[in-house]
Amino acid sequence: MSKILIYPTNSLVLADLVDRFGHEPLTIPQEIRKKVTSVGLDSPPLNITPEDPKIGLKYAAVEVPSGVRGRMSLIGPLLEKADAAVVVNDPEATFGCMGCARTNELVNFLIRAKKIPMLELPYPTNEDDARDFVYKIAEFLQSSEVLKHE
Amino acid sequence: MSENVKIAQLSCGTEYSGIQPEIEAAAKQVNAEMVFADVDYDDIARIEKDFGLEVASPDLKLLMARAKSIVDGKTDVDAVFVATCFRCAEAALARSEVRRYIYEKTSLPVISYSFTERTTSGTLLTRMEALTTMARRKSLLARERQTGLTAGIDSGSTTTKCVIMKDNEVIGTGWVPTTKVLDSADEAFNTALESAGIKQSELDALGTTGYGRFLIGDKLGADLVQEEVTVNSKGAVFLADKQKGDATVIDIGGMDNKAISVHDGIPGMFTLGGICAGASGRFLEITARRLGVEITKLGDLALKGNSKNIEMNSYCIVFGIQSLVNSLSTGAKPEDVAAAACYSVAEQVFEQQLQEVEVKEPVIMVGGSSLIAGLPKALEDLLHVEVHIPKYSQFIGAVGSALLVSGLVDTSKK
Amino acid sequence: MEDADDVSKKDVITKLIVLSSRHMMPGDLLYKIYALRKDVIVKETCFGAEVSGKKEDVNSLIRDIRILDPYGIFIKERGFPIGDLRRCRATSGGGARPGFHQIEVEAAALPLMSRALLEYDMGVKPTTHEKPAKLDVDVFKKIIADCLHSL
Repeated sequence: MSKILIYPTNSLVLADLVDRFGHEPLTIPQEIRKKVTSVGLDSPPLNITPEDPKIGLKYAAVEVPSGVRGRMSLIGPLLEKADAAVVVNDPEATFGCMGCARTNELVNFLIRAKKIPMLELPYPTNEDDARDFVYKIAEFLQSSEVLKHE
Repeated sequence: MSENVKIAQLSCGTEYSGIQPEIEAAAKQVNAEMVFADVDYDDIARIEKDFGLEVASPDLKLLMARAKSIVDGKTDVDAVFVATCFRCAEAALARSEVRRYIYEKTSLPVISYSFTERTTSGTLLTRMEALTTMARRKSLLARERQTGLTAGIDSGSTTTKCVIMKDNEVIGTGWVPTTKVLDSADEAFNTALESAGIKQSELDALGTTGYGRFLIGDKLGADLVQEEVTVNSKGAVFLADKQKGDATVIDIGGMDNKAISVHDGIPGMFTLGGICAGASGRFLEITARRLGVEITKLGDLALKGNSKNIEMNSYCIVFGIQSLVNSLSTGAKPEDVAAAACYSVAEQVFEQQLQEVEVKEPVIMVGGSSLIAGLPKALEDLLHVEVHIPKYSQFIGAVGSALLVSGLVDTSKK
Repeated sequence: MEDADDVSKKDVITKLIVLSSRHMMPGDLLYKIYALRKDVIVKETCFGAEVSGKKEDVNSLIRDIRILDPYGIFIKERGFPIGDLRRCRATSGGGARPGFHQIEVEAAALPLMSRALLEYDMGVKPTTHEKPAKLDVDVFKKIIADCLHSL
């Protein structure tokens, strides 16, 4: 089982496909879960405190908005664990953790910069595209470049 | 306890900056509640076309869709708080346009704010207090005449001011530098009572404002304790006799600045800046000290000078002042330095604050710094409009307090 | 130092089950989950259900659930526990939170995914559609000239 980073990192479809084909999807709710179940933190709703954007300085400089750095403090650990990535280039919509375009640009760059096996594909808009989408993801997840991390 | 106020939160990034609890704590302190307009995905998908602004960030689309839900009357709120991350250009565009949209299409008070992870509930409290006052006390804010015998005390960071008003006229004033909050308030109050020729026991009511408002209000048993955004805007349109239609009130204070859009005497949109001392009265105080002139003379000196003769590389109270000192050492004229200092403060207020409100004429400048003539002149040059300085401009908060508190006397008598 | 309660809380995961099924409604799903007799908390939602419990229990349940309708059940992890007041619109200022809109959008695409997954398992290869190349500039010039001429 390889650790597959998905982008958008909160996508139901991608998380499901990765899990379905036998790998562990790295998704942002896993990081949110750690935050919201931490005893001793009381910064609702997400338990992100002003310290988290400072942790995000590892990925983006201080002149980058605090919302980007706070999001990076969640997404960064996922990036570091990833063996491979599946990236949808033009997702239909992304909200919340993926609701900031600047963060999303940075995440995409960092995935590419990591030089891990990566599948980039467009969001499907019709049946033919969807068939192609599922086929490519399934083949990628069962390819030797992904399976070698198991 | 005052009635609960619902403040719609239109924001992007607050949860991820760790400041959502700070916003909610500030709201709670003024008995308000942050609420989120309910929209569905179709509303969000259409919003760029409906609103006319294209943005890449989905959470900004959500912000705009929530704004439209308020304008369309689908979400019932009393006030609106628009907040996005500091240094995000896309969000700044959306924030600014949404703020204007709410202001123009509704009668709801609105404030916009750009935050960092360092934003605290303390920073937000005065803003929330002003916002809820506008929502909660519209009838009080509609008051145009002072009645009876009332006093107002404005405990500022630099000076403490007091006025006594009777039947719509100022009859006594007191003005002292702030040292100990209560002592300075007593001194200003006693001076004002003395100059009006009355005793404290004769007063119908007392209002307090400024940084020391709670402390002084408690000690003197004030009938109204109110933040300075509300009282200054009321005081300004009252003293300038611009109670009908639009007006913009600007107050460059010792520690922070206020820019307020007012319509029919009621503040509707405002900013409260306080991050940079280079955009405050302190900058002018230090300049005056370096020039060896009284602060009261700095303005007239500035009027004789030309700011363009001085090269300033920074608005900063350290590095900007250093530029001024350097220019003096190379033979610059003191009047040019005074003019450059005024222009520097005005320009920073113009660039960083006046973009956050609708600047509509008449522009009324108030507070002690409005009497430093070079400052309103510099603002006139930047805004290309006439800047009005009403009589008793330096007593603005005290006048606003005395005016508003007289409304409470009437109410109780009825 | 973490206490026992802290450790157990962190060990608990929540998964969101979203249905795109012709055979199953959220009520049916709930019934099937109960029938599996796992030590989990279950809540019916408008999209399907949420299940929460120890990681191994939830994951084992998810494996069993998928079998019920392999092409009609979609699953992802959720950060917040079931019914968490911090994310509930009834207790946190009303209005759906961003995660709801995310599911709203993705749920609409699930019928396409269901069909594509079925066809993948049947060995159907996608037909590749080349993206049309940009119009040849000379052809475009001629069209412009023709249009202008006919005005």
